[in-house]
Amino acid sequence: MLDRSDFRWAWFFSVWATWFVLSTLTSAEGPADPHVKVELISEQDAIVPGKEFCLGVRFDLEDEWHTYWVNPGDSGEPPRIEWALPAGFRPGPIQWPYPERLSSALFADYGYEHQVLLIVAVRPPPGLKEGEGHTIAARVHYLVCRDVCIPEQTRLELTLPVTSRAGSRSDVQFEAARRRLPQPAPDRWKISAASLADEFTLNLIIGKLAAAPQFYPLEEEQIENAAPQTTTTIAGGFRLHLKKSRHLLKPVSRLTGVLVVGAGKAYLVDVAVSQPSSKVQVQSINK
Amino acid sequence: MSQNLWCGLVAALLFAGSAYAQRVGDPAPAFQATDSNGQTRRLSEYRGKFVVLEWHNHGCPYTRKHYESGNMQRLQREWTVRGVVWFTVISSAPGQQGYVTPQQENDYLHQMNGSPTAALLDPQGDIGRLYSAKTTPHMFIVNPAGVLIYDGAIDSKATTDQADIASATNYVSQALEEAMAGKPVSTPTSRPYGCSVKYAH
Repeated sequence: MLDRSDFRWAWFFSVWATWFVLSTLTSAEGPADPHVKVELISEQDAIVPGKEFCLGVRFDLEDEWHTYWVNPGDSGEPPRIEWALPAGFRPGPIQWPYPERLSSALFADYGYEHQVLLIVAVRPPPGLKEGEGHTIAARVHYLVCRDVCIPEQTRLELTLPVTSRAGSRSDVQFEAARRRLPQPAPDRWKISAASLADEFTLNLIIGKLAAAPQFYPLEEEQIENAAPQTTTTIAGGFRLHLKKSRHLLKPVSRLTGVLVVGAGKAYLVDVAVSQPSSKVQVQSINK
Repeated sequence: MSQNLWCGLVAALLFAGSAYAQRVGDPAPAFQATDSNGQTRRLSEYRGKFVVLEWHNHGCPYTRKHYESGNMQRLQREWTVRGVVWFTVISSAPGQQGYVTPQQENDYLHQMNGSPTAALLDPQGDIGRLYSAKTTPHMFIVNPAGVLIYDGAIDSKATTDQADIASATNYVSQALEEAMAGKPVSTPTSRPYGCSVKYAH
């Protein structure tokens, strides 16, 4: 049975709990996290009705801290953006710059240090009136890690006026971020993939390279992230050896990801994987 | 066979040996550990029972999601009542997040109302490396025949948000229910999600 002291405790507790909840909520809203600054920016300073423009969520990370790519690798979680846009505005997907490999002896994560800009193209509706202001808001959920990890969320917003003149300004920050976006593979490249017992091989008939290629799969748990990606030379290029993930139980029919062949050189790879039974094909590539 | 090929073969075998990780369907690697009450626990003693291994770091936000919501404790109670042996394993090295002394772990379990069968202290990371435990939490299930039947995440929603627990598929409960009913485990492996295990550098 409850006596008066129980009620008093309950009262103290509820006051404390209210304070605690409120204080954590407000800290999540403000720029309280000292390890990262997150901002919402727009490439254009005004919205042109019906004309797509780019927004960006920029992370400025303290030294030694990182956040994650769309496939975070062995641990962690990619940032998520929940948009709260005016009626009729349609956001596209996050355009992920190619990641860095953040590895230790046992693990490899894929992510970003220092600074990253996640670009999202937004198409506003055609019927906007000149002179109106529109507020764009985003709730960003993200995880930042050093040796420890901190999950955060923050609500960001900006207001842009509507203009009828066709703005085509491109912003330095956006241009820099676009240079880190993976490009379509050159037409002359011939890429194929095979599934062997414990590894996938990516056969890259792409000529000579200045740096050893690295493959970052878009899907989680296709390869052992921490295993070294070794290359062997084949006619016209390289064979990249990717150890299969032990969490992989079903055959992989396609390898989709980003091939990084040196600083600022990242290409999209999306190839069918020939399965162990189709040995003929593997041998023909071998010659 | 040429000498180069031999060297390559030896190197490949060495790499395979060091990086070999058991897969679902393989015998679960044998281990011996001391729990937070000083008792020695050997996996082999629990042949005939289902054994759950839960990698743990009390400071990791993904672990906190499942403890502060009471989800992990609820699973521990539910399954130990049904005869399952549940080991919480702590592989954080001294000085790293999640490292605890036996007394600190007992205090934590008391405070959080945790009820694993035992908490195994693995500050050298031996059991963690043996199982290639990557994250906290990272869950494994060994069946009564000593075979690994699950290796992966606790559930299907890789977030730190407690609100996601209710709508997630709990892979551990699902695997135990299925295996106890004599059915094949429908999701025997998944990407473990969480913080990296804080092994000694």
